[in-house]
Amino acid sequence: MTNTRIPPARAARPEPSPPPAPRRPPARDRGTRLLATLFLAPTIVGIVVFTVVPIAGSVGLSLFHWNVIDSPSYAGLSAYGEVLGDETVLVSFRNTLVFMVFAVALQLLVALTLALAVNGRMPVWLRSVFRSAFFFPLVLSAASISVVMKYLFNQDFGVINWLLGLVGVAPVPWLTSENAAMATVVLVYVWQQFGFSFLLFVGGLNNIPKEIHEAAALDGATGLRKHLTVTLPLLSPTLLVASVVGIINALQVFEQPYVLTNGGPGDSTRTVVMVIYETAFEQLRFGEASAVGVLLFVLIMAVTALQFRLSRRFVHYQ
Amino acid sequence: MTDSHLTRRALLRYGAYGAGAAALAGTAASWDRLTGADIPGRDDGSLVVATLGPAYGPEAIRTLQEGFAELHPDIKLRINAVQAVDWSDFFAKILTQVAAGTAPDLVYVATEGVQLFAQRLGVALDRWVKRDAAELKEYFADVHPSLVESMMYEGSLYQLPVEFNAADMYFNRQVLTRAGAAFPPADWTRDDFTALLRDMKRTGGARFTPYFWTNRLWGGVVPWLFANDTNLLAESKAPGGQWLWDGFYPAGQRAGRGGGFRWTTPQATHDRVEEVYDYLASLIQDGLCTRPEGGNGQNLIGVFSTGRVGVTPAGGFWAGGLHLAGMERDGFDVQYFPRWRTQRMQYGAAGYALLRTSAMQDEAWEFIKYAARRDTLERLFATNQTTPARRSLLTADRYAKTGPAHWPVFYDTLDRFPDTGPIPAPPQVAEVEQVLLKHTGTALASPRSVRPALRRMQGDLEKAMEREV
Repeated sequence: MTNTRIPPARAARPEPSPPPAPRRPPARDRGTRLLATLFLAPTIVGIVVFTVVPIAGSVGLSLFHWNVIDSPSYAGLSAYGEVLGDETVLVSFRNTLVFMVFAVALQLLVALTLALAVNGRMPVWLRSVFRSAFFFPLVLSAASISVVMKYLFNQDFGVINWLLGLVGVAPVPWLTSENAAMATVVLVYVWQQFGFSFLLFVGGLNNIPKEIHEAAALDGATGLRKHLTVTLPLLSPTLLVASVVGIINALQVFEQPYVLTNGGPGDSTRTVVMVIYETAFEQLRFGEASAVGVLLFVLIMAVTALQFRLSRRFVHYQ
Repeated sequence: MTDSHLTRRALLRYGAYGAGAAALAGTAASWDRLTGADIPGRDDGSLVVATLGPAYGPEAIRTLQEGFAELHPDIKLRINAVQAVDWSDFFAKILTQVAAGTAPDLVYVATEGVQLFAQRLGVALDRWVKRDAAELKEYFADVHPSLVESMMYEGSLYQLPVEFNAADMYFNRQVLTRAGAAFPPADWTRDDFTALLRDMKRTGGARFTPYFWTNRLWGGVVPWLFANDTNLLAESKAPGGQWLWDGFYPAGQRAGRGGGFRWTTPQATHDRVEEVYDYLASLIQDGLCTRPEGGNGQNLIGVFSTGRVGVTPAGGFWAGGLHLAGMERDGFDVQYFPRWRTQRMQYGAAGYALLRTSAMQDEAWEFIKYAARRDTLERLFATNQTTPARRSLLTADRYAKTGPAHWPVFYDTLDRFPDTGPIPAPPQVAEVEQVLLKHTGTALASPRSVRPALRRMQGDLEKAMEREV
């Protein structure tokens, strides 16, 4: 730092003694450091090659016009101007944020409710069955689940409308009306994804000492009140992890809207990652697609940073 | 003054790190770009042909390879069947291979991609066609000139068509009988079509939808636009191509031919386009047809073969498809698309495009000729999974097992309605298709949505067509 003016009070202080010259660590410490570096090297190389370089490459590519066939041509920040002026891109960001809010909220609510239920009194074998059953959709391919769901939710020929028809309900346009389509995509996504949050919550609930619950019961806290005042605060670190992972995944949603609705009707379920795919691989505008990718990256970083910032107030570590 | 405690040793160390990083960056920047072709063993000197995976199963690939090996034992052939949902997905994957530096020598390209490949990646076949004219006389005599013209771009020929599919109308015979309706005549009209749908609906029950269609470029809204004597983009013909027409086709067939189609100015707000959307919106309102998002090819065969759908547009490819789904040959039939202002129909064709990056262009031409031979197509398309581009292959014998009874419709579409043309597929086809599908969904939400959605479609199409591909 360059000092241009020295305050008198500080100038009156005695001159601090210079810091001792750094000394070379002993040979044994140097060996330990080298060993640690060697053990960490594969992870660091992996992160650099598979995360840092692609991110840097994407940022670099966003400054070029590139159609795969011809050589890239430098375009400065024009791709950002172009995508920010594109109505489809803006709508996709809005859709993605709406999707994120509803999907993550529903995912956490369903997962937490089921985790509390499974953690209640029941035979061990039944608990294992529920844990496996709730986690199972997560290991399936999102694309194949979406194909099956597309059949089930078909307005004219789907099983769900057929079942509703048996009780006199008129066919519901699950995938063919703008509002219902987004809701259906959220439902399908949550059905598949809540298993991860569920497992986190089950683990988190098991880590809460029973004595605390017993003490709360002695103080008269039962039922919902006990969960709100005791369980939730103690589970807040797990909730933070589940919500951070959930939000990051939801902001990158692709398979479900792509297969179920292809972004329609109109643009009502078109998400940011769908726009990236379409812009890059269908329209061959890799620079613009990278610019959208960089904007999504910034959005994810901002939302995650905001979450951690807010977590200081709401997360309680034991 | 800088407040720092950087020692000389540390300064030297960081300097060395910086120099090392700069040296690494400089070395990396000075290297030629590594591509997939640099992987040892990747380039084994084979002629690489990329085909659409679902259309070319293992049996078809073996047929192609064995036949070619007999004719050209000196050319090593590798067929790469690329799995893709549709042509758009297939082209995306081929372009990814091009970007990775592992471009195939030949790509199977349908009408959707003919101009994109011709403009950016393809090699015109003119010089080889002229050189081997005597050998190709028999081929061109067997292939309708309209199909050949759809493979031309700005006066040059880029592919020899080997298959095509026109959007004709398929009927479930059982549904027709249930509705008490007769099989429609060849010159039936749009009003006849609507009346037929109403008859079907009346007798079909609550869970029956008379008309099923898929929202896509081929067979979606476009056949109705053609029938109403309009198009999504203004259509004209490029000059040139006389060398081909004069060389291979008689005067009667070459009249009006040019150097390929041009699709330029968007006309989504044209009155006739609006009429088409109004008509389809009214069918949806009346419960006579599926919404655009509801229909897709994946479940179409199932709902058609079980009688939950009565009518749908499809090409010759469905003869084999319905047979494989278990439909008897007399369980379904096919007729021309109904007349509106015209009875002009739409089709898509496909053939092999030779890429500029190929180092084996002469060998690739030999494969193109081989793939268009009569015996090759006869073996390749034995299951009626498409309509062969060669007229002589459409025989009663071919359709005796699979049906339909009115199989001559498949090729006669081209003869009976000579203005029948390819789907609009300019080089910007990917974006054009995306805009079409998106706004078709919105336009058909209700009859009131048609005009605003078409205005937005027009704006988006104009932007798409202005963009350099």
